[in-house]
Amino acid sequence: MEDDAKLKIKNEKLKIKGVLKLIRVWLMVSSRAAQSQLLTNWAGVLFLLGKVIRFLLFFLFLFVILGKNNSLVGYTREQVILFFLEFNLIDITTQFFFRGVYVFRPLVVSGNFDLDLLRPLPSFFRPIFGWTDVLDLITLIPLWIYFIWFIIFHNLIFNSMDVILFFFFLLNSLIVAFSLHLFVCSICLLTTEIDHMIMVYRDLTNMARFPTEIYQKGIQFILTFPIPIIILITVPAKALMGLLSWQMAGFSFLIGIIFLKWSFKFWQYSLKRYSSASS
Amino acid sequence: MNYQKSHIITYVLGVILLDSIIIASRTADLGAQIKSGEIVHFLIRPVSLFKFLLARDIADKILNLLFAFVEILVILEVFKFSVDLPKDLFLILIFMVHVVISFFLYFLISLILSISAFWTDEIWATRFLFGVILLNFFSGVIFPIDILPAWLLRIIYLTPFPYLVFSPLKIWLGQVPNQYILKSLLVSFFWLIFFWWVTNYLWKRGLKGYGAYGG
Repeated sequence: MEDDAKLKIKNEKLKIKGVLKLIRVWLMVSSRAAQSQLLTNWAGVLFLLGKVIRFLLFFLFLFVILGKNNSLVGYTREQVILFFLEFNLIDITTQFFFRGVYVFRPLVVSGNFDLDLLRPLPSFFRPIFGWTDVLDLITLIPLWIYFIWFIIFHNLIFNSMDVILFFFFLLNSLIVAFSLHLFVCSICLLTTEIDHMIMVYRDLTNMARFPTEIYQKGIQFILTFPIPIIILITVPAKALMGLLSWQMAGFSFLIGIIFLKWSFKFWQYSLKRYSSASS
Repeated sequence: MNYQKSHIITYVLGVILLDSIIIASRTADLGAQIKSGEIVHFLIRPVSLFKFLLARDIADKILNLLFAFVEILVILEVFKFSVDLPKDLFLILIFMVHVVISFFLYFLISLILSISAFWTDEIWATRFLFGVILLNFFSGVIFPIDILPAWLLRIIYLTPFPYLVFSPLKIWLGQVPNQYILKSLLVSFFWLIFFWWVTNYLWKRGLKGYGAYGG
C-alpha cells in the first residue's frame, strides 16, 4: 500500500514536471515570436492602432444603442458594458494563447508538421501554442486594468464568492476555447481546411459581444449546447454579477470537461488518419 | 435614423450580398506576390496585370454571388423574414449603378493597399488597419453608420468607405432623398477617378525601383 502511494506521488510529480516543462517551452516560443514581431515596429503600431480603434468604435456603438433606453433585455447600461468588456477579455486572451491555430495550415500543407510530431512535446502543442501574438498581451494589460476599475467603480460585485466563481469560469472558458481550437486543428488534419473554420468560430463568438438574451430561444439553445459560445463568454460575466444559476454553473463545468475529452479523442482520431501532405 | 425590424433585416442581408460582390477581393494576394517576387511571372506575360486581376475578381465574385444568394435564401426560409424592396424600378437601377461604381472603387482601394508592398514590409498591418478595421466600420458592414453621432458621421463621409456598402443599401431601402443619391454617385465617381490615378501613379513608381531576386 505504501509503495502504491509513493508511486502515485512520483507519477504526480512527473506530471507537474511535464507541465512545467511545457510552460518553459511556451515561454521560449512566445519570447522568440515577440522578438520577431517587435523587429517590425510599424507593423506592430498599425496592428495595435487597429485593435484600439475597433474596441473604441464598438464601445461607441454600445453607447449609441444604450443612449435612449439605458437598458438592454433587462440589463442595465453598466451590466451590458461589463458583458462587452468581458467578451473582449476572453476573446483576446484565447487569441493570445491559441494563436498557433492561425498558422497551422501551412505546416500541414507543406508536410512540415511531421517534424513536430517527432519532437518530445505533445502533438497538439505546436498547432495550438505554436505562435503567440505579443500585441494581444499589450492590449490585454490596459483592458484588465480598465475592467477591474469598471467593476469596482460601478459596484458590480456583491461578494467575494462571485469573484472566485468568475475566475473559475474564466478558466473553464479557456478550456472550452482550447477544445474548440483543437477541434478546428483536427479538421485541418483531415481536410487541410482551417481558415474558414476559424472564421466561423470568430463570427460565432462575436455574437456574444452583447448579452445573448437578445437572441431568440432557438439561437440561444444552439449557442449553449452544440456550440457553447454562451459558456465560453456569457457565463463568467454572469458569475461575476451573481446572476448565474447553480444549474447553469454545473452544466457549464460539465460542458467544459466533455468538450475537452471529445476534442482530445477527435484529435487522436485525426492524427491516426493524417498522412503527410507533401512527402 | 429610425430602423424598423424589416429595415434591419434587409440591411443585414444586403451587407451579406454586397460584401460578396464588393468587399471580397483577391487583389490582396498582389502584395504577397510583390514581396515574394512572384509578380515577375505576370509582368513578362503579354497581358495587362490589372485587367487580369479584374477578370479574376469578376469571376470570383460571380461565384461569391451564387453562394450569397443561397445563404440569403436559406436565412429567409428558416427564419421566415421578409425584406424591403425598393419602391420603383428606378431605385433598383440606381442601386445597381452604385454597386458597379463601388465594386471598382474597392478594387482600386485594395490594389493600392497591395501596391504599398513595393515600399513597405508591413502589407498585412496596413491592410488590417485600413482594409479591415476602418473599412468594416466606416462602410457600414458592421452596423449602419447613420446611428453614430453627427460629428463622427461628418468625418466618415470625408472618406471613401461609406460609398462602398452603406450608400447603396440606403438607396435600396429608400431612406435617402434624391439629393443624397446624386451626391453619393458623384462623390463615389470622384473617388473612383482619384484612386485610378493614384493606382497608376504608384504602380509606375513602384515598378521603376522594383527588384526581385531568386528563381
